[in-house]
Amino acid sequence: MSSALLPGIERILFTEEEIEARIRAVAREISTAYEGRTLKLVGVLKGSIFFLTALARHIEVPVKIDFLGISSFSNKSGAPGLVRIAKDLDESIEGEDVLLVEDIVDTGFTLRYLLQTLAGRAPNSLAVCTFLDRNSRRIVQVPVDYCCFEIPDRFVVGFGLDYNQLYRNLGYVAVMKPEKMI
Amino acid sequence: MALIAVSGHPGCRFEEVARVTAQRLGFELLTQPRVQSLAGEEFGAETHIPDKAWPSLVTSILARLATEHHIVYCAAGGELQSRHFPGMLRVHIVAPENVRIGNLMLDWRLERSAARQKLFEIEAADRSARKAKFGKTRPTAEMFDLVLNAETLTSEQMTDLIEKTIETTGMKERGFLSSAAEAQLQFQMRLRLARYGIVPPDKITIRKKIFANQSEEMFANLLDFYRIPWEYEPRSFPVQYDRDGNPVESFTPDFYLPEFDLYVELTTMKQSLVTRKNRKVRLLRELYPHINIQIFYQKDFENLIFKYGLAERPVHT
Repeated sequence: MSSALLPGIERILFTEEEIEARIRAVAREISTAYEGRTLKLVGVLKGSIFFLTALARHIEVPVKIDFLGISSFSNKSGAPGLVRIAKDLDESIEGEDVLLVEDIVDTGFTLRYLLQTLAGRAPNSLAVCTFLDRNSRRIVQVPVDYCCFEIPDRFVVGFGLDYNQLYRNLGYVAVMKPEKMI
Repeated sequence: MALIAVSGHPGCRFEEVARVTAQRLGFELLTQPRVQSLAGEEFGAETHIPDKAWPSLVTSILARLATEHHIVYCAAGGELQSRHFPGMLRVHIVAPENVRIGNLMLDWRLERSAARQKLFEIEAADRSARKAKFGKTRPTAEMFDLVLNAETLTSEQMTDLIEKTIETTGMKERGFLSSAAEAQLQFQMRLRLARYGIVPPDKITIRKKIFANQSEEMFANLLDFYRIPWEYEPRSFPVQYDRDGNPVESFTPDFYLPEFDLYVELTTMKQSLVTRKNRKVRLLRELYPHINIQIFYQKDFENLIFKYGLAERPVHT
């Protein structure tokens, strides 16, 4: 993907090189923490797939991968219903060392729900790794064990993060122009 | 938990499929008359249930039963009710008009012309009831997981297919609805029912929540979605006193989240008002340092709205 700015993008927040370097550093931390163990990375669809793939490549302990997805708050039928697992894990996590991989943590709502759900499935350990942390918007306090970047309170896209399902495939993280988000 | 919602075209005997399925799987059968009976037990036999309150009433009853049973729910609109629950199978049974007229002839001992007239009447009543309760006159195929044609399949064969689907999806193995999930659902449903004056006879009527603006309502919806209990403007904090120690100015945060002991204030107003509100929050923090409060500014909230994909911007005041 070209690094030329696309329409709707205000500025690049993290370049491909910065992302690569930071992911390598976080992967090293994780490799040290889980030395001698097998790690199960659980990615939250869809935003985390780019980050999870890049992270997994640099982790030096044996890694298993699984994904889950949760229902969206937004739907066409009006009332949003309740959050639920829309795509469950393919395999059990009982007894596994699980690292939940998120693209971004902001309010903490989603992460809280996921941690509650996964904790009930008897993993050996459960930790959280997020690509981006927008701590300024946190409402629910949730544990974040590994974080690549803390970001300001702006709407960002790229490297898995979307706006209306677009921009996920950008190699960098960029700030959206506010006027484009109407 | 497993919730099988069975509905169908009038005259195609979907009630029979629901009954046989419930018997064979050992599930609890919930029909429209049973809902009315349970509602009478809960809220008093004389309580009038307006059409618009029906979905919330059924969800409340389903949630209560779902903590101890897997359920077959057989009534129009079941496919819309079941979306609140984690393990659902929405079954719709259809049949050509001739088959349905034939069924009515047998079931009601009618001549063909009378059965045809009966079918039209039932269909009209069904459309009218759906419109009143759910705002839709008829369901469409994409609302269902299984659509079965009773022209060629018997009730037994349709039950076989439903049973096989339940087995394949592992819905029965998931266990019943957790009491925490039930509590969340009941909280929402009881709140909605209270707006229609439907409350258990021994309970205090819940105050109608009138949100100051659309953003607050959206935020409440978001909290509901994530099953996070909330209270709307539950407490006012005096932040200025006169010389005699009487409060002259108070601050009432918009939401309180008891699970996190956190107050949330949404500020979706123009800058001068934001400044005034910031001052109140600062005073609150000084006077009540043990109180946790989080402010959500307009741009925070808009980003949240964008993130969760809501089409409309919140109201600007």
